[in-house]
Amino acid sequence: MVLKIKSISKNFGGISALTDVSFSIEEGEIFGLIGPNGAGKTTMFNMITNLFPPSSGEITFAGEIITGIKPHLITEKGICRTFQNIRLFPQMSALENVMVGGHSRSKSGVFSSVIRTKAQRNEEARLRGSAIELLELVGLSDGIGTEAENLSYGQQRRLEIARALASKPKLLLLDEPAAGMNETETDDLFDLIKKVQARGITVLIIEHDMPLVMKLCDRILVLNFGKKLAEGTPKDIQNNKAVIEAYLGSEEDEQSA
Amino acid sequence: MLLEQLINGITLGSIYAIVALGFTLVFGVLGIINMAHGEIFMFGAFIGVIITSTLGLPLWIAFLAAIIVTGILGYMLERVALRPLRGKQGVSHLAPLISTIGASILLENLSHHLFGAGNHPFRNAFAEISFQIGSITIYLVQILIFVISVILMIVLSYWLLKTKAGKALRATAENIETASILGVNTKRIIILTVVIASAMGGIAGILVGMAFNSVNPQMGLSMGLKGLAIIILGGMGNVRGAMAGGLILGLSETLIVAYGDSGYRDAVAFITIIVILLLRPQGLFGQKTTAAGR
Amino acid sequence: MMLVEIVNPYYLQVGSFILINIILGLSIYVTLSSGQLSLGNAGFMGIGAYTSALLTLNFDVPIIVGVIAGAVVAGLFGILVGIPSLRLQGVYLAIATLGFGEVIRVFFVNWESVTKGAVGISGIPHIGREIFMVLKDAGFDPAIIGLKNNQFVFLTVFFVLLLINILLVWFIFRQQNSRIGRAFAAIKMDEKAAESMGINITYYKVLAFVQGALISGFAGALFAHVMSYISPADFSYHRAVEILIFAVFGGSEVIVGAIFGATFLTLMPEMLRFISEYRYMIYGLILLLMMAFRPQGLIDVQVLHWFQKLRLPKRRAEHGSKNQKHL
Repeated sequence: MVLKIKSISKNFGGISALTDVSFSIEEGEIFGLIGPNGAGKTTMFNMITNLFPPSSGEITFAGEIITGIKPHLITEKGICRTFQNIRLFPQMSALENVMVGGHSRSKSGVFSSVIRTKAQRNEEARLRGSAIELLELVGLSDGIGTEAENLSYGQQRRLEIARALASKPKLLLLDEPAAGMNETETDDLFDLIKKVQARGITVLIIEHDMPLVMKLCDRILVLNFGKKLAEGTPKDIQNNKAVIEAYLGSEEDEQSA
Repeated sequence: MLLEQLINGITLGSIYAIVALGFTLVFGVLGIINMAHGEIFMFGAFIGVIITSTLGLPLWIAFLAAIIVTGILGYMLERVALRPLRGKQGVSHLAPLISTIGASILLENLSHHLFGAGNHPFRNAFAEISFQIGSITIYLVQILIFVISVILMIVLSYWLLKTKAGKALRATAENIETASILGVNTKRIIILTVVIASAMGGIAGILVGMAFNSVNPQMGLSMGLKGLAIIILGGMGNVRGAMAGGLILGLSETLIVAYGDSGYRDAVAFITIIVILLLRPQGLFGQKTTAAGR
Repeated sequence: MMLVEIVNPYYLQVGSFILINIILGLSIYVTLSSGQLSLGNAGFMGIGAYTSALLTLNFDVPIIVGVIAGAVVAGLFGILVGIPSLRLQGVYLAIATLGFGEVIRVFFVNWESVTKGAVGISGIPHIGREIFMVLKDAGFDPAIIGLKNNQFVFLTVFFVLLLINILLVWFIFRQQNSRIGRAFAAIKMDEKAAESMGINITYYKVLAFVQGALISGFAGALFAHVMSYISPADFSYHRAVEILIFAVFGGSEVIVGAIFGATFLTLMPEMLRFISEYRYMIYGLILLLMMAFRPQGLIDVQVLHWFQKLRLPKRRAEHGSKNQKHL
């Protein structure tokens, strides 16, 4: 078990975004987190990375309780994420963005950075090398020197994944990576996530693109109004009555709207 | 002796409160700290000096002139320092702070050139009127200052809560976009806010001139920083907090001068800023959520 | 001799002021590069100046020790103010540091037994003269290189400051193009994202703030030993605004910006005497206009690229254009 979520609840000023949600993720699997808008999926990500602390409950990562630990330490322990509303460093080049991702896996301080010690130069070269390699992996070799804000939407999404991978995570959290992508890009994304999995990285993904989720995920958890609605393999979920009713019903609403 | 000090403290505190009300109003609506407010206040004081001492005109004309001049200054401040930054992409939240600092420096040195650097006495027969109660002397001006500040606070609260313009202003403070969708002319409301705040600064300027019989270009800075301390003490954007914060600062400064080391009088305000910001960033009377937001 | 005619003490003095102001401009630049605005740098400057002046005057400490002590004490105050202030966002930090600066000034005015109050401290050992004395004791005479004594003194000050400036720019430039600089820039652009990428934002924000304090304290100590006289008025709100304007006018996103801002704004009133009287009014106007029309300052990355292109045909573009960072 890589990640274990134990009865997490979160209230925002009296409104509960998550109520008593529990689940766990096995090592190496791709785990989908789905549900209608406002179901509490991104809130769950924010709990895991501790951008906000949960109101109650406990999160265990690799056998260690991580609730209440500072976000940067959680990244250091091996969890990294992307954001639903892309949060790159806009005026940095793609390369620099990915190098920032490697921050927790490097340690040069002020002194060694200014003196340019041998260790520091090696470290920079290593960071740069692995950043270039990651940019190739996500298919951004051409845009290495381009500023993040000048990349296309799809490129920015892939750059976020590369940046997160640079922190050498054991668990990667992807928040709607396919949003705004066309069919080809989504297919590329599928391949990319599979490659990430092949590297031994566990993936927790929030996604609205149902065909992608069903194709990609080993197991899926459905959230509705902050509560766990169902959990199981893509097949289980597709055949689950409660899910069809709540989830697909709301999707029809969206279509009719 | 103590009673006299308390009266002095309340007088000083009332003036502080009026200055702080101006800060609070602008912060409440625009979420901006107007660093030029102290200098606008100082211009009000100079208008008072010119009208009463130099031209020998009655006091009420001085008030009127100060309100008009500082109101115009407020309008110009909004046009030049605030409006160009509003709604512009990629402007940091520090930009309005820096541009109002620019306006403050400009106004301070402009008054150096217009009025001269030194102290200007504020000669006014009215300011001399006093009466004895037992062993203590009370100046009529002190009572006037207290009364005016209380009236201003009541009128402002009433205006904000009950009138249509006040409601529009509060809606704008809540959320500028929503307010403008709801049909509030936010541009006009913002101008109105800055102008009213500035005019209140002008009134405070004249009152200070009368109470201390001295006006100089540097008074804007020190008063501005104190106003800042008060709204941080009382809670940003909080009308009653500004009043209470003003009185607290006025009283503690007066008591420090009377019973402690007068040299450290000015440090009280700044130490207050630092301590409050660190221990209770929402201010004594603010609520946590409002302090976090705007 | 030629040198006697070329070396003009007045120009050297102006040059020294420029160099000190560049250090001050860099002090606010470093803090801004992590997205924080400090209005307390005049206060830190004062701490550095008073520390070094008092140490050299009262305890006969060598100037170099005094200057380092001044910078360190200012840095310690920076930690003291910086750590609790981290809870404050944006404008609140600016106001807290402004309050801090004023408290410091009030203490200088009132702690008369030590600081001589508003009158200030005079007779502070002068860097140039001290070096001159040491060399003279060693048998050196400026006439050998064709200089009068006072010319030599001013020239020494200028070169000492120039050396310090070069070292400081080198330091900041290297730091900026490293893991540390990337962390500062990431925090400036998106604090939450930076934190999620494993950056300890508390540490780096305090680091940038303390570096700013340290550099201002350093500048203050040098200021004391170049002017030989300091008073609380030297470290007032006006100084804080002046430091701010160096970066705001020249450009707060590139090192060259702060350097240019400090140079231009120090030279302007010297070159155009009639402006000197209106200096602060012009400062005020500059702040207003810059915020309205060019909040990043005159020189930004685009301008630098443009200059590099201009130079390209003559000389091969120098290395590192890729490393140019938007801060």
